[in-house]
Formats: sequence, C-alpha cells, structure tokens
Amino acid sequence: MRKYLTVFAIDWQNQFIYRLNFVLWRFRNILRVLMTYFLWSTIFSVQTSVFGYTREQIMAYLLLVIFLYGFVGSSPSNDNIGGEVSSGALNNFLTKPIGYLRYWFTRDLSSKLLNVIFAVGEIFLLWLIFRPPLVFSSQPAVILIGILMLVSAVIIFYLLGKLALASVFWAPENTWGFMFVVLVLMEMLTGLIFPLDILPRSAFTALQFTPFPYLLYFPLAAFIGRLSPLEAVRLLFQSLVWLGILFYLVKRVWSAGYKVYSASGG
Amino acid sequence: MPVIEVKNLKKYYRVHQKEPGLAGSIKSLFHRKYYDAKAVDGVSFSIDEGELIGFIGPNGAGKTTTLKVLSGLLYPTSGHVSVLGYIPWDRKPAFQKQFSLVMGQKNQLWWDLPAMESFILNKEIYEVPQAQYNKTLDELVDLLEVKDYLKVQVRKLSLGQRMKMELIAALIHSPKILFLDEPTIGLDVVMQKKMRDFIKEYNRRFNSTIILTSHYMDDVKELCERVIIIDKGKLLFDGALSEIIKKFANHKLLTVVFSEPVDEKKLADIGVVKKFDYPQCVISVRRNATSLAAAELLQHFPVADLNIEEPQIEDIIREVFTGKDLA
Repeated sequence: MRKYLTVFAIDWQNQFIYRLNFVLWRFRNILRVLMTYFLWSTIFSVQTSVFGYTREQIMAYLLLVIFLYGFVGSSPSNDNIGGEVSSGALNNFLTKPIGYLRYWFTRDLSSKLLNVIFAVGEIFLLWLIFRPPLVFSSQPAVILIGILMLVSAVIIFYLLGKLALASVFWAPENTWGFMFVVLVLMEMLTGLIFPLDILPRSAFTALQFTPFPYLLYFPLAAFIGRLSPLEAVRLLFQSLVWLGILFYLVKRVWSAGYKVYSASGG
Repeated sequence: MPVIEVKNLKKYYRVHQKEPGLAGSIKSLFHRKYYDAKAVDGVSFSIDEGELIGFIGPNGAGKTTTLKVLSGLLYPTSGHVSVLGYIPWDRKPAFQKQFSLVMGQKNQLWWDLPAMESFILNKEIYEVPQAQYNKTLDELVDLLEVKDYLKVQVRKLSLGQRMKMELIAALIHSPKILFLDEPTIGLDVVMQKKMRDFIKEYNRRFNSTIILTSHYMDDVKELCERVIIIDKGKLLFDGALSEIIKKFANHKLLTVVFSEPVDEKKLADIGVVKKFDYPQCVISVRRNATSLAAAELLQHFPVADLNIEEPQIEDIIREVFTGKDLA
C-alpha cells in the first residue's frame, strides 16, 4: 500500500511541472461548459421549457456534470499506457514488485484530486456568473448511494480505457487502440452534453445495458434528486455488475496481453 | 551452488515478413508471411555467486534476449532456467526484490523530477527499510560522486550523470544479481572508465553477481575474468578471457623490421602479410609453424628485428564472429 501512496505523492509533484498543460486542459473544460451553455441558450431562446427541463435546471445540470467529468474523465493513464507498452517501457514495471495497472490507477487518482480542486473553483465562478438554482436530493441515503455510484464510475472508466488499450499488445503500432472510440462514446452516451432522460424512453432504457450512463448521468441523477431510493439502489447494483464484468475482462485480456508481450519482448 | 542455471535455452520469435513497397504493405494486410527468428538457440551455462561475467556477441547475437529471459521479461520457447532458485517469468515479488536489470538505452527515472524522487519511489516499491536505504544511498552516491546532482531535474543531467543515477535507482534495494545491458553505451571514454571502476568495485564490495553485455571489449577485458560469447543464438565460448586466445587464435603475428628493401611477393610464402609498410611488416602465421616461419625469415631476408606476438583479443573475437580464418 505504501508504495502506491508514494506513487501518488510523486505524481502529484510531477503534475506541477506540467503547469501549462494543466491550465490548458482546465481551460478546455471551461470552454466546453460555455459552448454547451450557448447551445442550450439558443434552444431556450424559442421556448421556456425543453423536454421537461427549464433553462435554470439545464444550467445546473451542465455545471454539475462538468464537475463530475473532471473527476471521472481525467485519466492520464489513457494517454500513456499505449506508448509505454509499445516502446518497451513496460519492462521497468514487469521486473519490479509493483502492479502496472494499480500503479496507473494511483496516478489517475492523483490527477483526479488535482482536477477536482480546480473544478471547485471554476464551478464556483461559473455559478456566480449564471446563478443557476442548484437543487440537490433531499434524501441523504440517495446522496450516499450517488457517491458510491461515482466511485464505481471512476473504476468503470479506468477499466474501459484499459480494455480498449490492451489491443496494443497485439498491434504495438496502434498505441491509441480503441481509446478514441471509448472517448467518443463517453461524450455522447454518458450525459456529458445533455441529460440522458430527454432521449426517447426506449433509447434511454437500452442505454442502461451499456456501461456509459453509469459514468456520469446516473451518479448525477442521484445527486440532483432525480432518483428514488429504490431506483438508486437498483442502478448502483447495475453499475457494480458492470464493474465486475469489466474487471474480469480486463484481468483476462491483460494477462493474455502480458503473455504475448513476454513472447515477443519489448 | 550456482545462482543462475541455464540449460538448453531456446527463444524463437515469430517475425512478420513484409515485401517492399506499398503493394507489399497492402498484401501484408491480407496475408502475412512469418518465419522463426532463432534469437537464442540452445544455450547452456551456469554462474556462481559473486561472478562478474562478460556476455559478448555482435548485434542481434541473442545477448539482450537472454538477459530478458533471466529477468523474467520473456519466457523461453524451451529449456530450463533457474535464477536464485526461481523461475524468472513467474515474476514472484520475492524474486524481483533480489535482482535488477539496467538497460543502457532505456531509463526508469522520472524525467521531470530530481533523481532523488525516483530513488524514494524505488525504496517503497522494493520495501527497503529506511536505515538500510540511507546507508546504501550514501554509499552509492559517494562511489559515483553524484552528491551535487541529486536535486537536479533528471532532464537537465548529462548522459553520464543520468546513467549514474540510473545505476543508483537500480541498486537501491541491494540486488544479489545485476544484469547490465550495455551500461557504457554512448558514454565518453572518461565516463566509460568511471563506470567500469564502479562496476568492479560494486562487485568486489557487495559480492553481487553481475552479468554485463557490451560492445566495447575494453569493458570486458578490464572487468570480467570469465566471458560467454554467443553468436546467432549459439554459445561459442564460455571460459576465462585468456582461454579465448588458446582456443580461437590458431595463428601468431610476426612483426619484422627489414634492413633492406625486400620483395613483398616472396613474403607470401612465409604467411599472410597483414601489413607491409617498409621497413616494417606484420605477417600472420599458423601457430604450430611459428618457429619454422621465423627461421625462414632470418635465413632468407635481411632482418633487423623480429617479434613474435599473440594477436589482439579484439581481433580474435572479430574473426570468430565473421568466421574468417586469418592465418
């Protein structure tokens, strides 16, 4: 355990070296909020309510979803693992008593913490400008379940990325793997741009059979009081089922990947 | 009791062959031809504790592949390998804590932070107790004379300084076995010498077992009593450095200084003329014909001086690798 705490501490220091990178990444997040805001403003310029959401409710949703995205979606492992495997830098880890995927999960957590600290400040500024009414669930139990769903979401996103990246073991020249596909789906199907419940009922139900809505939409729905306690428990359970499935898949695929790697060398 | 045992190790890679050009690329999308590259092909050796072994061979001989098998990065196609009683590719933490692999062309240090941070991380990864860590670090920093650079960003260090830091990072858990793959590559001669001195001293002081691969014969000549030579995946020689000469050098060199000009063509009867630069001439002759050739020279040529020498070890090894027989 201590070794991973040290990884966390060192990664934290390392992040401060890349100050400019970090500032730009946060700037991109703010731009994203503004862009989505103007998109919705246009829609609301012709009508006062869309799909059962008022202008203020949408703004509140967007602010919070961007906050959650900073937490769930910041994952430097996705940018680095492909390159490390194909260049052979993975050797450094395979000869040491440390788990490679745990190591990167730790670094992701370090990145998430830094992002959240900045996101709090940004959200506060944006809130000052737009003053949307932030409404939260009145039931502490649902909030608590929401937090658990969020933890599950962080792990699900990590595992999805690692599953997509594992292709690099078989095709070392393809370091980005299917990561691009995961990220596009992340934008469209997780509730990042619009609340998923504005979709037709059938589409919304079908989405529940994919891991994507569990990444952002459902945890957020729990926080803003759109879920009953019973629904929240059911969705948490479904989220954990996805976590379990992905955990199993990643384990299997990576152990097969390590075998291929050890057959051909880095 | 040997710490490393390798019996009939084979490692074949499946290599994809692509025909040249765009057409070849398109063709390889649908149909790929493979062949087996025999990186290591039936190598056996055993190494005792505290030995410092030079592992030499030309590029692609199978040196690095063997080191990778020994450190558990690759599993072999066949053969038996035991390192400290472990099967390396099981990658057991108890085994990993006892060896270190340093590749001259790869680095493990955190590029943007001072090397000190990487040392601290390795201390935790290998679970080295604080007191032992302090002692080891002090000793290594002292031996390698890098005290002033510990707090400098790794990216700002020179190649030589960085290589020293890489070594410290690799040694912070006091490994019993050290695999060094081209540790002096790219370093200037002064730094190469310092590296060598360090490796020698480290081996002496801690009785650690070291296997070193290198292109530079100087590394091997100065450091290793025993060398293992492999080429094209096969073991060519395993023994004392001095034995190489006995085994492979079937010729000696006669260096003659003439007092008057001679006909170069006539010298060809004596042996192979390697260099003729009047008045000096170097002739390579078969070992068992040395005295005869010398007598011949003295009798029929105006000789001012004559020397009989063993060939240079570099030359012998080059001949072994190229399969040429010079005498």
